[in-house]
Amino acid sequence: MSYNFEIIGVWLLVVMTLSILSYLYGDNPFYKAAEHIFVGVSAGYIFAITWWDQVWPNLFGRLFPSYVKAGFEFDTLYIIPLILGLFMLLRLIPSLSWLARISIGYIVGMAAGLKIYVFVNSNILMQIKNSGINFDESIWNILNQFLVLIGVISGLVYFFFSKEHKGVIGKISKIGIYFLMIKFGASFGFAVMGRISLLIGRFEDLINYSSEQFYFATPIIFIIMIVFLFVWSTQNDNKEKMN
Amino acid sequence: MINFLIKLGSIDRKIIFLLIALSVLIPLLYPNLIELPIKVDKNTEIVFNSISELKSGDKVLLSFAYGASTKPEVHPMAIALLKHLFAKDIKVFIVSLWPESPIMANQAIKEIVDTKLFNLTEGIDYALFDYKTGGFIVIKGIAENFREVYKQDHNGTLIEDLVIMNNVYSVSDFNFVFDFSAGVPGNAEWVQYACDPKKIPLSSGCTSIMVTDAIPYVESGQLRGILAGMPGAAEYEKMVYDFLVEELNTNSNLNNDSLLTKGKAFSRMSAQSVAHLLMVIFIILGNLSYYFSRKKN
Repeated sequence: MSYNFEIIGVWLLVVMTLSILSYLYGDNPFYKAAEHIFVGVSAGYIFAITWWDQVWPNLFGRLFPSYVKAGFEFDTLYIIPLILGLFMLLRLIPSLSWLARISIGYIVGMAAGLKIYVFVNSNILMQIKNSGINFDESIWNILNQFLVLIGVISGLVYFFFSKEHKGVIGKISKIGIYFLMIKFGASFGFAVMGRISLLIGRFEDLINYSSEQFYFATPIIFIIMIVFLFVWSTQNDNKEKMN
Repeated sequence: MINFLIKLGSIDRKIIFLLIALSVLIPLLYPNLIELPIKVDKNTEIVFNSISELKSGDKVLLSFAYGASTKPEVHPMAIALLKHLFAKDIKVFIVSLWPESPIMANQAIKEIVDTKLFNLTEGIDYALFDYKTGGFIVIKGIAENFREVYKQDHNGTLIEDLVIMNNVYSVSDFNFVFDFSAGVPGNAEWVQYACDPKKIPLSSGCTSIMVTDAIPYVESGQLRGILAGMPGAAEYEKMVYDFLVEELNTNSNLNNDSLLTKGKAFSRMSAQSVAHLLMVIFIILGNLSYYFSRKKN
């Protein structure tokens, strides 16, 4: 007996999509099952891909090059990440869990050290440099740059708490609030756009898989789910009445 | 009228869900029902012009940092950009920074190959590299020593054996970097850890939700334009489609007997616009309802 894995995949996709969307009706067994499957599959997939694409070739490939054959040569230095990694796993043994702090300390220290330079360079120095006004450009560009400069200064003044927001400082910080509100409004608009885009993607798949080619996956699963949810909610109502 | 507006404020949310669903579903089922024009944004134009300035044989590093959940927004950008790059005979190197990204990268390449628009050979015209965990550490590694991070391509071929890898040692050996992202690591990490320090031109195509955080980099020139969510993808698709139509009979990199299509984001824009219009109406009605109910109380 042969299986058409494409069709199985499509039916699974439709079941999972409709199960997640069924949350709009309310919390229900379809949604709960889909949520748990999603978390489990994601964790399993990320674990497997991290092990085979990263830990196996990059760590064990350097410690046992002739066995792993990932293109690396033997490097004794990689015993250190192996030990730090094992320390992380020791969190599972309460009496030795303190050793994990060494690994966490290394990660935090290394990340902070790397981040501080690049953040100062790209997000502070270069942003300050580019906040200046270039008077060689067209009048509209100069006006735009001037507006950006006002926004930057007034926004920063709003977050300056060492002086009470009264008088000139109060007025500038109020301008800052308006700029911040425009930013939050734009963020909200973009967030809505993003969510609608995802909905479009899901609907497009559901429409594509409604055809005969996929054995009418969407309408069949949709009807089955509606019937199940109707029976389930009726039973729940009866239980509530009896209680 | 005022009472009606107040009542609207307490409408069952399921009705709003249904209306949003219909506003998306109807334009998708009947694409010719509502056709709204697409105006190309300045930032999309900057991206297109930056890629157009590249020469045949130049090397472009593409970073895939998105997954299935953000595919509808970012994937059409990747397809359009790959078409643009291959039409200009540019060598493409794809790295994956999200666990699902290798699947996205493979699908994008497969989609391009299936169009039969280009004569592509893996290892000569493009190379794919597997997912590496670590986020910004991987980006920093690529910036310093590409060959220390990647020893093999996704097929397990050693990079010394790949023709495309000749003279590629770090991010400085690429003429352009393009980031497709839906979160962290994304364009900010590429700006901070690779392209600002090494002064390599960088551009990004990202999800809508990331745009407001990325715009300061665009304004300062640290990012050369940006493809902002689905509208950005649709605009870029349109520009690339027009470019390919113009080049089809004269460009030797294109198979002129192939069928050109505009792309998925373009066809989705009507649904996007109608849903937005409905959202704006909801916001106005919601505010009016709130205003009158407060006044009444």
